[in-house]
Amino acid sequence: MKNSRLHSVWTPWLFLAPFLLSFTAFIAWPAVRSLMLAFEQTFGPRTIAFVGLTNFRFMLHDPFFWTAVGNTVLFTVAAVVTQIPAALGLALLLNRADLRGRRLFRVIFFAPSIVGLAFVAIIYSIMLEKRTGFINSSLHSLLPAWDPDFPWLDHYVMPSLILAVLWLSAGFYMVYFLAALQNVPGELLDAANIDGASPWQRFRHVTLPEIRPVLNIILLLVVTGSFQFFELPYLLYNETNGNGPDNKALTIVTYLYQTGFRSGDLGYASAIGWLLTLVLVGLALIQRRLTQKEEL
Amino acid sequence: MSPAPAHRLLRPATLLIYLLLGFFALLTLLPFVWMICAAVKTKEDFFTSQFLPRGPGFLGIAWDHLTLHQFVRLFRDLPVPRALLNSIFLASVGSVLATLFCAMGGYGLSKFKFSGRQALTTAILGTVVLPGALLLVPRFETLYHLGLVDRYLGIFLPALAPAFGLYLFRQAMINSVPADILESARIDGCGEIRIFFQIVLPIVRPMISAYLIISFIALWNDYITPQIMLQSPGRQPLSVVIFSLKGLYADDYSLMLAGTLVSIAPVMLLFFLLQREFISGLTSGAVKG
Amino acid sequence: MLKMFSPGLWIVLLMAAGSSVLIALLPIPTHPGMEMWVFDPNHAKIARFIAADWNQGHASNPVTIHLITGAAIQSRMMSGFYSDTPIADLIEVERGMIGQVFAGPVADVGFVELTGRLDRENLRTGINGPSFSPWTTRGHIFGLPHDVHPAMLLYRADLVEAAGIDVAKIETWDDYFRILRPLMQDLDGDGRVDRFLLNASPTSIYYQEVLLLQAGGRMFDEMNQPTLNEPVNARIIARLATWYAGPGHVASEITLGGASSMRLVREGYVVGLLAPDWFAGSIRTSLPDMAGKFKVMPLPAWEKGGRRTSVLGGTMLGITKAGRTPEAAWAFAKQLYLSPATAQRLYEEARIVSPIKANWPEPFYDVPDPYFCGQAIGRMYLKLAPDVPLRPSSPYYGLAQQLLNQSVSQLCAYADDHRLYNAAALEPEARRLLQEAQRQLQAQMDRNAFLRPAAR
Repeated sequence: MKNSRLHSVWTPWLFLAPFLLSFTAFIAWPAVRSLMLAFEQTFGPRTIAFVGLTNFRFMLHDPFFWTAVGNTVLFTVAAVVTQIPAALGLALLLNRADLRGRRLFRVIFFAPSIVGLAFVAIIYSIMLEKRTGFINSSLHSLLPAWDPDFPWLDHYVMPSLILAVLWLSAGFYMVYFLAALQNVPGELLDAANIDGASPWQRFRHVTLPEIRPVLNIILLLVVTGSFQFFELPYLLYNETNGNGPDNKALTIVTYLYQTGFRSGDLGYASAIGWLLTLVLVGLALIQRRLTQKEEL
Repeated sequence: MSPAPAHRLLRPATLLIYLLLGFFALLTLLPFVWMICAAVKTKEDFFTSQFLPRGPGFLGIAWDHLTLHQFVRLFRDLPVPRALLNSIFLASVGSVLATLFCAMGGYGLSKFKFSGRQALTTAILGTVVLPGALLLVPRFETLYHLGLVDRYLGIFLPALAPAFGLYLFRQAMINSVPADILESARIDGCGEIRIFFQIVLPIVRPMISAYLIISFIALWNDYITPQIMLQSPGRQPLSVVIFSLKGLYADDYSLMLAGTLVSIAPVMLLFFLLQREFISGLTSGAVKG
Repeated sequence: MLKMFSPGLWIVLLMAAGSSVLIALLPIPTHPGMEMWVFDPNHAKIARFIAADWNQGHASNPVTIHLITGAAIQSRMMSGFYSDTPIADLIEVERGMIGQVFAGPVADVGFVELTGRLDRENLRTGINGPSFSPWTTRGHIFGLPHDVHPAMLLYRADLVEAAGIDVAKIETWDDYFRILRPLMQDLDGDGRVDRFLLNASPTSIYYQEVLLLQAGGRMFDEMNQPTLNEPVNARIIARLATWYAGPGHVASEITLGGASSMRLVREGYVVGLLAPDWFAGSIRTSLPDMAGKFKVMPLPAWEKGGRRTSVLGGTMLGITKAGRTPEAAWAFAKQLYLSPATAQRLYEEARIVSPIKANWPEPFYDVPDPYFCGQAIGRMYLKLAPDVPLRPSSPYYGLAQQLLNQSVSQLCAYADDHRLYNAAALEPEARRLLQEAQRQLQAQMDRNAFLRPAAR
């Protein structure tokens, strides 16, 4: 190695030391420890009992856990089919060189994703109220047929959450699409245009293949993010600790949080966490496989 | 894209695009507008109008009904000033340290050859898939045993080693820091620390600004970690303090929304000032990497 | 070197430096003496009044009262019990918060056990028996009860009387809905009902249990075993479903707590509300301009001659093991909860009646209340106090409540799906749902290694 004479063996470790110290204590060790905890039951961090496979066995027959899984999957599917088209649509609308105020629009659409979820929960809990809430009363005055008592948060839990998250994150993903669209070579589009391709054909055969890699990354981000969806339903339904009416708001991570930090059972919470991790790793691997196939 | 004549759309189509964009922008902004209006209304006026109270004043609005009283209450009667200070402290110090450590780590990992480098890189980047919630549980236990629960350090220390930040800086170093500059500096007798601060950091300057803002906003908005780790009200940031208004002041929406506005405004301002760096930093990992 | 300082970096660095200096200069203030956490503004007012008295005689160990939201108390209290974070000497705990405290081994309960003290000082017999039940686990009492909280029906006397209806004829829930039926109206002509007869819905968090307890149903027996599947429970929820489900449902809910709820109460969105004493008090303070429009009456019974009350809510005062001066805390707790002065203030401020039997004959309970059209509501609530149903406590109380609510919701969905709005026809499904809920509850309880007999 040519470099070895120019710097000491310790130099890279010097630069890595602060990061590695924190990494070991707060990522690597907790990851190992959570694996151990998954076989224990605790009442806070002091009182611990070894329970073997009980946590996993219980999880298989725990209706709350499976309700949480069902809600999370439903939310993820809804998030994918709403957020990605919305984000891509906005990006396509904005992606024209002759558009005035493009920067302004970009900032406006992006702004909601700067708002913390605790604050989103406050805003939406008031806006979505029955009868007096901004959304119901506005809709009722625009379309008198709209039921002013439309029970957004009381009954239509998933639609309410999806609406809030769509507002929150469409602009966030739009920014990625916009960056990708700007990398699509103009000559290709021009050529297609000259060949008489319709806008849809241009999108389908020129733009889409070019932005495919970014689309894949965003798909992965939306799916893994949605699988960890937690703060918003937890805070919107904090009266019922995040369960919501008829457990409709309960997500996997909400359940993990409830068991770990409210019931103090760090063990069962860790078991749930590991199952979630396996699912996420599995999804990432599937996505990778699919991407590679496309590239071949 | 070149603004070639072939690209220009007919006027009705352009108009349609502006209309659509305007409509979606309006939908996006409505909650903000509504919140700002609500924050300057009195508790009594809250339900009488969607936005500002109607009255005989200019534009049919009762301007004399508007009040800054909610903000006065937030800062005079409620622990909001301290929470604001805590939020600024946690987000700024945390993001500066995290950015520095990630830059150092990314540099150490990408610009030196040492045995075990590949394994270490894989191990660190592999943890990106671990869900935050999984780590939250044993982290709490670890901080308890270290005596760091309810200490600012308990928030800082775990925030200093984000694998994603290390990944971004590693990419930036690989893409933009040429090895020969470093070598010639060493031949000139430059110290390693000077090389890092004087040569390497200025080259990755865009990534520094971007990551700093990304982690600042993430720390500012975090609710769950401080909610678990910081129990003394004097140490809690705005996210926890403002959300807890929901309990005692549940019947005072104007106050809650004024508090929300106070909490959102600083990061919004920072974002508007630095949005170009912020957005380019966010997308650089995904689009170019 | 300054080249790497972009504007963003400058701003954040300045904030970091400035805030670090301020944090170093502004330490978090600590109070000398004892701290007490309270979640209710009315309780805080009274506690501050008693504390001012106490502090004159105990300058070396004064009490400071902190008003904190319930959720924050829950989180800080549990964190303190689990991991020694700072915690108050005395904490007022609401019924919904106590289960978690009791979920571990008895030795791990973070409060000082009071059973021995109560017996030694002969305090137990003087306090309304049912009031202790939520604060007892495995035979050990951990809190001093604050209240009785008998439930009555709060109704819009102005609307009812304007319609010429005489509530004296109402004895049962069936009477109630039949006699008040004309009041259920579409006020703005949009084809939708804007006025319902009772404030309850399938998603109500507390009301299903209140109505169940009234009928003699329960979620746990005296041995803390779950009893969700008892036949009486199925009978009651089948009847509840007929109130809630279908196009002609007579009950609808205002989710109480928010600002809009008070507006809806004022508009008369519901004619009647389930109202324990504290709720009557809170209506009185939240809607002062509605004086003379409300009255209370004993709850309509499920069957003729049945119980006319139930119970909702409840608070205890606990002394934490982490406190440095438990004896002083106990002395203050007694002064606060047992004195007739407190009982009077509690009634006058919040309309809450005392659990201390010795206070019951006090004349202030007999003063006619102009807000409630001259009714002496204190005396009316106290008359019902001995009938208040028992609520055996369990760490799984919250879960049981959740499962019960879930069963009610599912039963309503079933009723709508099958267009069945008759209680007898819904009962088999109610029984099936509660059987399943019972099974789930039992499974969760069996999983807890700390509550098994060996671990007690």
